[in-house]
Amino acid sequence: MLKALFPTLARVRFVVQLLMLLLLVYGSAIVGHYAAEKISGELPALSCAYDQQNAGYCILIPTQHQIHHRIGQGIVMAQKVTFGVFVPLIMTVLTFFAFFFVLGKMFCGWVCPLGTLQEWIGKIGRRFGIGLRRFEKGDLGDVKRVRPVKWVLLLGLVFLLPLLAGLGVAPHSLGNPYCDICPSRIATTLLTGNTEQLAVSTDDNISFTLNAIADLLIGFTLVGALAVRQPFCRICPLLSFNALFQRLSPMRLVKTKHAACDKCSICTESCPMDIKEISEQSGRKAYHEDCTLCGRCAEYCPQDGVITLKWGPFKLFSSSREYYKNKVKRELPDGTVKPVKIVKNAATPNPADA
Amino acid sequence: MNRRIAIFALAALAGPVLAQHDHSSQQMQASSMPFGEEWTHQPLLLPRPMRNGSRNAAVLRPRGLDVSEVVVYASGGPSEKRQVAYPVTLEGAAIATAGPMVGNYHWVVARQEDENEVRVASTVWYFSNPGPAPTEMLLMPKHELEIVPQPLPREHGSYRESEKWSFLIRWQGQPLANQALTLETDSGTRTRTTTGADGIATVLFPRDIAPTGGDAGEHAGHGPRRVKFVLSTERNAEGKRYLTAFNTTYSPDPDRERSLGWGAAFGLIGMVAALPLLRRRTATADFSENKNA
Repeated sequence: MLKALFPTLARVRFVVQLLMLLLLVYGSAIVGHYAAEKISGELPALSCAYDQQNAGYCILIPTQHQIHHRIGQGIVMAQKVTFGVFVPLIMTVLTFFAFFFVLGKMFCGWVCPLGTLQEWIGKIGRRFGIGLRRFEKGDLGDVKRVRPVKWVLLLGLVFLLPLLAGLGVAPHSLGNPYCDICPSRIATTLLTGNTEQLAVSTDDNISFTLNAIADLLIGFTLVGALAVRQPFCRICPLLSFNALFQRLSPMRLVKTKHAACDKCSICTESCPMDIKEISEQSGRKAYHEDCTLCGRCAEYCPQDGVITLKWGPFKLFSSSREYYKNKVKRELPDGTVKPVKIVKNAATPNPADA
Repeated sequence: MNRRIAIFALAALAGPVLAQHDHSSQQMQASSMPFGEEWTHQPLLLPRPMRNGSRNAAVLRPRGLDVSEVVVYASGGPSEKRQVAYPVTLEGAAIATAGPMVGNYHWVVARQEDENEVRVASTVWYFSNPGPAPTEMLLMPKHELEIVPQPLPREHGSYRESEKWSFLIRWQGQPLANQALTLETDSGTRTRTTTGADGIATVLFPRDIAPTGGDAGEHAGHGPRRVKFVLSTERNAEGKRYLTAFNTTYSPDPDRERSLGWGAAFGLIGMVAALPLLRRRTATADFSENKNA
């Protein structure tokens, strides 16, 4: 029964993503109206604080606010930089880490609502035959050129500008600049029927510009996801934030060296983040900073036990030849779904023959 | 003569300032400020701007009632921290979060009683302090006649123009049906509604904030502008008049300061910018069951 409902890891992940989307966009009906009744304000997945119906906030908003209001202002007031200033930030990071310890970067691949939306849009693109575009030489260019952007956004918009706003060097309208450009804010509030966040603030030029960037990003992401897998995830500062901690969680991707890996790159073909290292490397280097632990590489690896999703010593899913054979019958590594064949049941007599 | 007048005037101006400085730590019966603000005669608890911008302390000044203390109710924490009285000084009542993990929302009450009347001012104060939600705190009866928000705005939310919010009116802890509830705003609106059988009244916040009205948010230039409002209700019982007010702020309709047209336009530009990605098709790789297997 369970195997019929969840024949593949992908099916399990689809159901988890669906449930998480409902929880993180509409979940206040389950966990209660107030912030304190929510799951957490320090989730390792994009979950927008501007959504008034959701069930949790992502770590990025308290990080920006605490750097802006506490650390920056604390230094400006020339107060002693004591535990009173840093403890709230430490508590925020520790709460985040309590979640992150359990699921690690699965928050990106299994929980994040914006990641789920992009993936589902990509499935629509594959279904309608829109050609897949990859970050590789000869197409969109080397993926390595995109990778630094997420670090720039994390350092610049989550850490530096809120600090400068708190110090009074930058205007207060730059107090939470990442949230102001975050396309997840637009997407999840639109899913609740709220157009307020799509509307651009006309208060001042800075707010107008930041809101405009957010709208440009969500527009680009929604259409771009038809052809490019997870376009925003590649530059998401929460991916880089999670990457800072990825070695500290027992949840991880493990790849062992295999002779066939030199000729085979199906795992990279299947990777929604175009991570070349998963096919070229093994061991620690194979679990790349861009990995979202979606598990597709393990599903599409045709070798027994070469790629494994593990939590500590426990194997959660391991690649196998048999699984691979069944998987490619339904869906190709690039996400193209094979057409459903309708076969007449030979055992059923045709009424016309009667 | 002119010099004497000037010295007298200077002394008159300086006197209250010096007195405030000298006696700022003393308790004060707020009889010197028995009246509310110009826009209302209801009892109020009004925040005083904080010099150091602390996020876990505030000064609230009673207006329109004569009290020596205010009581702050927290959402959680040990019992001695869930209800704490703070003295009212010349500055007002300096309230603070009672400790870690007592919750963000704090309910503040100032109660004045004499032989003819019980006057209550109440408000809600949000300290940045994780902890339990305020559900139980709001359920707990605190005085005779109460106005209880159902619910309070969430973090990053607020009462806003054109929105409807529900308020429960309780008498001795029980819902009070057919009870009038009056809304007055600093912008000059005055409306009245009545509770249903469940004791709940729905209040529509008027679209009455002037384009430049209200004060800056908690942090200047950061957050929406705020305009004061007060809800009040009264009841005669046991030979006394009970008057209860709940005051806080509401914000302009976000549509006033946001442009959906610009937002949609930028979203469309983003979509158009992504269209070239859809133009080229790549050949589908041949992944047979036996590739590299």
